[in-house]
Amino acid sequence: MRWRIVSALVGLALAACGGEEQKLELALNWKPEPEFGGIFEAERIGAFAERGLDFARTGGPGAPVVQMVTARQVAFGIASADEVVLARDRGSDVVAVFATYQTSPQGLMTRASRGIETLAELFESEGTLAVEPGLPYVKWLEQRYGFGRLQVVPYSYSIAPFLQDPKLTQQVFVTAEPIAARRAGVEPRVFPIADSGYDPYTAVVITHGARLRDDPGTVAAFVAALREGWRGYLDDPAPANARMAPLNPEMDAEAFRLAAETQQPLIEVADGALGAMEPERWAELARQLQTLGLIGEPEPAERYFVNPEP
Amino acid sequence: MSSGPLARLGPPLVTFVAGVGLGELAIRALDVSPLILPRPSAVLAAALAESASLLPALAATARAVLVGLALSSTLGIAAAVALAASPWIQRAFYPYAIFFQIVPIVAIAPLLVIWFGYGSRAVVAAAFVVSVFPVIANTLAGLRSVDPALRDLFRLHRASGLAALWKLRLPWALPYLLTGLRIAAGLAVIGAIVGEFVGGGGLGVIVLGAMRQQRTDLVFAAVAYASGLGLALFAAVGLASRIALRHWHASEGDR
Repeated sequence: MRWRIVSALVGLALAACGGEEQKLELALNWKPEPEFGGIFEAERIGAFAERGLDFARTGGPGAPVVQMVTARQVAFGIASADEVVLARDRGSDVVAVFATYQTSPQGLMTRASRGIETLAELFESEGTLAVEPGLPYVKWLEQRYGFGRLQVVPYSYSIAPFLQDPKLTQQVFVTAEPIAARRAGVEPRVFPIADSGYDPYTAVVITHGARLRDDPGTVAAFVAALREGWRGYLDDPAPANARMAPLNPEMDAEAFRLAAETQQPLIEVADGALGAMEPERWAELARQLQTLGLIGEPEPAERYFVNPEP
Repeated sequence: MSSGPLARLGPPLVTFVAGVGLGELAIRALDVSPLILPRPSAVLAAALAESASLLPALAATARAVLVGLALSSTLGIAAAVALAASPWIQRAFYPYAIFFQIVPIVAIAPLLVIWFGYGSRAVVAAAFVVSVFPVIANTLAGLRSVDPALRDLFRLHRASGLAALWKLRLPWALPYLLTGLRIAAGLAVIGAIVGEFVGGGGLGVIVLGAMRQQRTDLVFAAVAYASGLGLALFAAVGLASRIALRHWHASEGDR
């Protein structure tokens, strides 16, 4: 009988920290920056309120967003497509509903003065590669090019080592660190990972599968509000940037402006709706992650995402 | 009370098995997602299946911890002896030694990489920084608590300062020092892993990579290896203290 009491206590504890949300919370995975511009714009123009959605932002750097959504502590979260595939492989029922970046903004940067022209050349060079341990795209690059003479070290979210060490290569969002490096006086050469054939949707809005089944209307309304916000942000990022700037003192107004400009082609779509996803892209990603040994058998692509109908 | 291996190892083993079993049952009964809390059986499976990467990582972490502990015990004892030399020195420097105890290692770890470069030196430095204070504090307490009667005896016989240090004060401080080392051993493991988060290598990088890949089972497996390392060090210090003290000190007499 004792284990019943214990399990009841554990259940109470988990319920206390994972209770059903009142507000529609969206957990971000980084500080306010143009990556989330459409979210702030949607808030600013009242796109959520207009649809009767009680919206709130939460999370930030280091927030375990996928876990928070899995436990239903928050209704929505920001993740990348590969995180969705990994989490589902580990038994979580998270589903993508909106993909901000249609082309992945992830990349590597090294000093332009080194004269390195291709990823292949970069991986043959000598020096240090600073990346977060365990990143799927790093494993992908390792499989394609091998680390050779590169010393792989953890990236600790600062470009200080890059500015100091002429032979250091580091992971970047093409919209962020390269701009900071250039403004600090070091001209970077940026290699987008997408060019190597690994191109997951990024800054993807995720939710729990159960919410999609129980309340598809709310999810669709939420996505419609986001889409409206992103349309507005792409047309004029200045008002939302002004709202984000005080929340992220590390970026000044010029950095916000440049980042918004750089990310435009990664978000904008030729035809169709902003943020909509295609099954082929998800199937391709799942296959790649399987080849890398990071997941078991891929699921049908339709399990990973939904394009909510308005 | 008997002190056979069964009497010694039995109770902790029973609590371990019971705790793990209860955890397994509770997680199964509540159907907790493995992403949030993996079952102990999944952790065990990961610990075995990934041993090819976990064991070399454990060796790397263990090496950094041992070097860090060696540094913190030698420098810590030296610092304690220097501090005990005069009340003035102690007043002047001891407050700064306390810095080592309260320094937020997570905050300064990136700086260690800038100072010492990526790799094991930064990791050793992190292990040292967090483990040196208990050595200083405990050794100092031991050096200061020498029985005044014995100190007078040494003075009566006109023993030199060095002789008094070597034959009276350090032996007197030994049990204190060993207690300090026990605390330092566990802290050094934590320090090394935090150092590895930024400096690279070892179990720290396995933990980061496993988090990134949503392998909570592997995160816990790596943590279990780290705990094993901490326990082994704790036991080694315990053994050393038993050997060093059993013939003359009450703390390690027959129990």
